[in-house]
Amino acid sequence: MKQLTCLFVMLCLCGCETVQPWERGTLAKPEMQWQSDPMESSLQAQINASKEASSGGQGAAGGGCGCN
Amino acid sequence: MAALHFDHRFRAMGGPCRLRFDCSDDARAARAIAACEAEVGRLEQKYSRYLPDSLTSRINRAAGTRTPVAVDEETAGLLGFADTLWQQSGGLFDLTAGILRRAWDFKSRRLPAPEAIEALLPLIGWDRVEWDTGAVHLPRPGMEIDFGGCVKEYATDSAAAVLARHGIDRGLVDLAGDMAVVGAGSVAQPWSVGIRHPRDKDRAIAHTSLAAGGLASSGDYERCLVVDGRRYGHILNPVTGWPVQGLAAVSIIAGQCLVAGGSATIAMLKPEAEALAWLRELGLPWLAVDASLQSHGSISLD
Amino acid sequence: MAARPAEKHPALLALTSSALLLPAYQGVQADAPPQYTELGMRYSKYEEDDTRGSKTFGGSSQRYDIDAAQFHLLAPVADSWSVAVDVQWEDMSGASPWFVGQSLDGGPKVVMSGASIEDTRTEVSVTTRYFYDRGNAGVNYVRSDEDDYDSNALALDGAFNSADGLTTYSGAVSYSSDNIEPTQGSVPTNTRKADKDTSSAWVGVSRIISKNAIVRFGLSYTYRDGFLTDPYKLHDKRPGERNEWTASTGYRQYFSWPDGALQADYRYFDDDWGVASHTLNLSWHQNLGESTQLIPFLRYYTQGEADFFANVADLDTRYYADDYRLSAFGAISAGLRLRHEIGNWAITAVGERYESDESWGLYNGDESPALLNYWRYSFGLDYIFK
Repeated sequence: MKQLTCLFVMLCLCGCETVQPWERGTLAKPEMQWQSDPMESSLQAQINASKEASSGGQGAAGGGCGCN
Repeated sequence: MAALHFDHRFRAMGGPCRLRFDCSDDARAARAIAACEAEVGRLEQKYSRYLPDSLTSRINRAAGTRTPVAVDEETAGLLGFADTLWQQSGGLFDLTAGILRRAWDFKSRRLPAPEAIEALLPLIGWDRVEWDTGAVHLPRPGMEIDFGGCVKEYATDSAAAVLARHGIDRGLVDLAGDMAVVGAGSVAQPWSVGIRHPRDKDRAIAHTSLAAGGLASSGDYERCLVVDGRRYGHILNPVTGWPVQGLAAVSIIAGQCLVAGGSATIAMLKPEAEALAWLRELGLPWLAVDASLQSHGSISLD
Repeated sequence: MAARPAEKHPALLALTSSALLLPAYQGVQADAPPQYTELGMRYSKYEEDDTRGSKTFGGSSQRYDIDAAQFHLLAPVADSWSVAVDVQWEDMSGASPWFVGQSLDGGPKVVMSGASIEDTRTEVSVTTRYFYDRGNAGVNYVRSDEDDYDSNALALDGAFNSADGLTTYSGAVSYSSDNIEPTQGSVPTNTRKADKDTSSAWVGVSRIISKNAIVRFGLSYTYRDGFLTDPYKLHDKRPGERNEWTASTGYRQYFSWPDGALQADYRYFDDDWGVASHTLNLSWHQNLGESTQLIPFLRYYTQGEADFFANVADLDTRYYADDYRLSAFGAISAGLRLRHEIGNWAITAVGERYESDESWGLYNGDESPALLNYWRYSFGLDYIFK
């Protein structure tokens, strides 16, 4: 976790260029979103959470289910 | 379904305009075209100095009165941009210089009387204009401002933003030679665009590829007087009131058509050697044509 | 020819920054609600492989099948609001591992729940979101209903962009209250009626690092409290509390050749039951022309076992569980998603294979005989009203 924090800080200190608002067209493409298909993501997250011991990390935890 | 290609021509801001874009849906394309035309028309109505009800005319009519004219955010933005042009050009770009047209009649074959020019100089001076983000006031009767130097370029960018808001991700807006690309240009093939010949408005002097941002041109386009073999172009120095011995035409590519246009205007206001040096330093792709129709610059031509 | 960066010359910087104050350039940065109403439907089939005969004590080795239907509606409301409604129905049938015992040949074997379980679940989720110049904020309510389980959850989330729009700070909190009333099958259950609460908080920061790349980092904490034991497992007794933490990072990079994007996400998970896990998701989003996208994806997951896990549970200890989900294992899943747009319609098809094995993991532990493999297929249709 410490290494990740360091990596992130490093990315921000030296990896960032100023990207002007009119240069952000590519970043608005669907494939550049954190969730490019919300229904697919939610189904995958639900299946994984019910078959593995860990969950979360993508926003707040939602409601539960009795899936087993 | 493959995207359809739309090519729509109309007239606005005193010239031929063209919208080219890809869109998968006829109805949406029609809405986008209508919204673009409406946006360009809106800006023309708002800022034209020929229309008595325009904001520009109202500001000019209030010159010398005690009442400042209230302005909206957009107008304050244009005043701010004009102020930046004035500062960056060392006073060569001046929103109040249009009044020199009263002395210079480029349709006649005669030079104006020096006294006629002298008489107008006290009415010129951007530094005399009182303005802030809420109001503008021309202190002397007879003073005038003219947004002609930046509204067309701004309208080009604004029309491109309207297309983008209609879900169009590849397109080109062309308002009589001022151009703006819609979309990031990442998937898109670049647009091949013509740069207008300074002596022949129907001919292109060059073609280049425009993948993103905007292209604007400024030129003296035939509007000049030739007296005793000497050429007097219509680009006037606001301090002396006399034509600048500068370039015949300048085209620039920048992130926005407005920035390209402002930079091209500054270059046109400088004497030739100074203009070429400034263009080299600026770091934007540029193409200049000098008085002997020799081209200079870094724009790669197709 | 693209314009060069605006930092070069002070004159250019001055002109650009003063131009960008004009309204025509404002729309690019502001968070905006969706422009059009979107409708989506998915049908998914989830099929677990039968447990291999050598790993079960006679009886049925058939496991779970789930049919799931999802419905999604997202609509702009007024100028700065959106409403989303998501509904999901699931029909589950089959058997699940009941307990693990020691076989005569020495290896642990699983005993499946005898009777076939039949259950349906309905989940309704409603989200309203408000968009303002520098971000957005949402409220989400989810209700889930099953024969033997119900859950109500409320979540609040918000995102805030820095003045230059390059950095986005996000946060979310949620609370869920779940009730368990086991009714299924003929097996004795661990409770007649119980409840559990889950509280969770998440913070994240994402940063644009170039015209083509964006990175995100997030931390979350979840507290569960109440009846966390599996009601249907014979040998299952878990603590009444669980504290979970995650640290995650994500990266998106677009490549103009070959017109595709790499999506990479990593999550580290840790809790006070002794479970830790690493998850790595990679996908490649390939555009094929204007209307087709092909998205292969790969996921690697590995977890360590819970402190109280044992294949053959020792019922004399305070807590115990033989649930394969608390064992140490590694899992790999790979799949392909295809999306094709036809006018305002889009069709989506997904196929995914998931396999797990103790030897694929980074953590050591007893291999559970009940580890899982499954196939999943989804078919979807989306419509956008534009």
